[in-house]
Amino acid sequence: MDWAAVLGIAAVLVIMVLYEWPQLKPQMKREKTAFAVLTAVGGALALLLVFYPEMPGPTQGLDALYKPLVKWMDHFTEKRSG
Amino acid sequence: MIEKGKISASQMGKMLYLAILPTAILTTPAITFKFAKQDLWISPIWAFCGLIVIFVSLRLHRMYPGLSIVQACERIIGRFPGKIIGFIFPLFYLYFNGIIVREYSEFVVGAFLIRTPLIVVSGSIVLVCAIAVRGGVEIVGRFSEFILPAFITLFLLIVVPIIPDLQVTNMLPIMPEGIRPSIEGAIVLQTWFSEFLTASFLLPFVADQKKSQKSVYISLLAVILTLIVSNLVTLLLLGELTGNYTYPFLIVARYINLADFFTHLESLFMAIWVLGAFVKICVFFYVTVLGAAQWMNLSDYRPIVFPLGLLLILFSMWVAPNFQELTHAIATSVTLAIITLFVIIPALLHCLAWVKKRLRAES
Repeated sequence: MDWAAVLGIAAVLVIMVLYEWPQLKPQMKREKTAFAVLTAVGGALALLLVFYPEMPGPTQGLDALYKPLVKWMDHFTEKRSG
Repeated sequence: MIEKGKISASQMGKMLYLAILPTAILTTPAITFKFAKQDLWISPIWAFCGLIVIFVSLRLHRMYPGLSIVQACERIIGRFPGKIIGFIFPLFYLYFNGIIVREYSEFVVGAFLIRTPLIVVSGSIVLVCAIAVRGGVEIVGRFSEFILPAFITLFLLIVVPIIPDLQVTNMLPIMPEGIRPSIEGAIVLQTWFSEFLTASFLLPFVADQKKSQKSVYISLLAVILTLIVSNLVTLLLLGELTGNYTYPFLIVARYINLADFFTHLESLFMAIWVLGAFVKICVFFYVTVLGAAQWMNLSDYRPIVFPLGLLLILFSMWVAPNFQELTHAIATSVTLAIITLFVIIPALLHCLAWVKKRLRAES
């Protein structure tokens, strides 16, 4: 099942590159780099999510960042809905 | 200029209206009800963040015409710090759009297409939106102009047939504990009102600048009014039960039964939801792509649409392991983050820009 997902991701990446790359003109260096980097990041994140679906996400990051305030809001919500 | 298209002021207003409302109708009544109880319908009036954000984005655009907040930020606080803050905006738009795509697909799968995997629903909407976004701001603007009448008609088709069944006693007593519960209920709504920062990205492409200010404020007013109507209808029909459902407005749509002939009108709600979510995801996606292209100084934003679309699908799965945690996060940490990023930082930037302008005028 995992490997089917990997194949699917690879197919999506290949289709994206085949579609977009010929439309980029040779002098568009910046655009080419941006496209390559973003596609690579996307591919890497997709693979990570396939193999480690429990990986902590951005929401956990925000939760950690606002921890004291979140606790206070939770406490408050419980009190109100009491 | 990265974007060569132009939109009219009214198109921008319609884009903002559709970019904010759809998810607000769907999820807020349940969360707001916890705090505000029968004052649910008063909460949307407290749109403080909306007013601040609109004021700030209009003023910033007047000080730095033709620049979005990502570009203006580099001018205000210098190149390097500006780049750092400028990076957070597209990233957060991507993350937030991930939440929207997740909400959309959870709702479609949970209420209608029960046996379809999430990724099929989210992947197809993101693909459609990516194609629309590649067309540019004009296409997204025309889509919203085209979809808005359908959206309002369908909304009225749900609200009007329900009127005979409404029980006015459900909203009594009005404000038994003063205005405080309704303001507490409005805290979560500030997330949606903060989304008016999107105006800052769209303002540079408005052809008739004089009308843009009026159009944004009308849009805010329309959002508030629609939310009042939808909350009021939900409250008057469901009363105390409002807090028990994840999607109270869907229950309202299911309730409609005209002469045993018009039933199962939730399909209308589904139509509203797909149309609205399409424009919402498109606008947010467009802002992400535009912000990222401006941040990287690209000459064209089109090459990065599909890679960012892939990231968007991944973020929609990555934001939360399940829907309960997502709803909890929306009510707490996401609200705090969006208020920090979309209200406090732009307001500080605006103050800095104002001080800088004053200093320059003196010297």
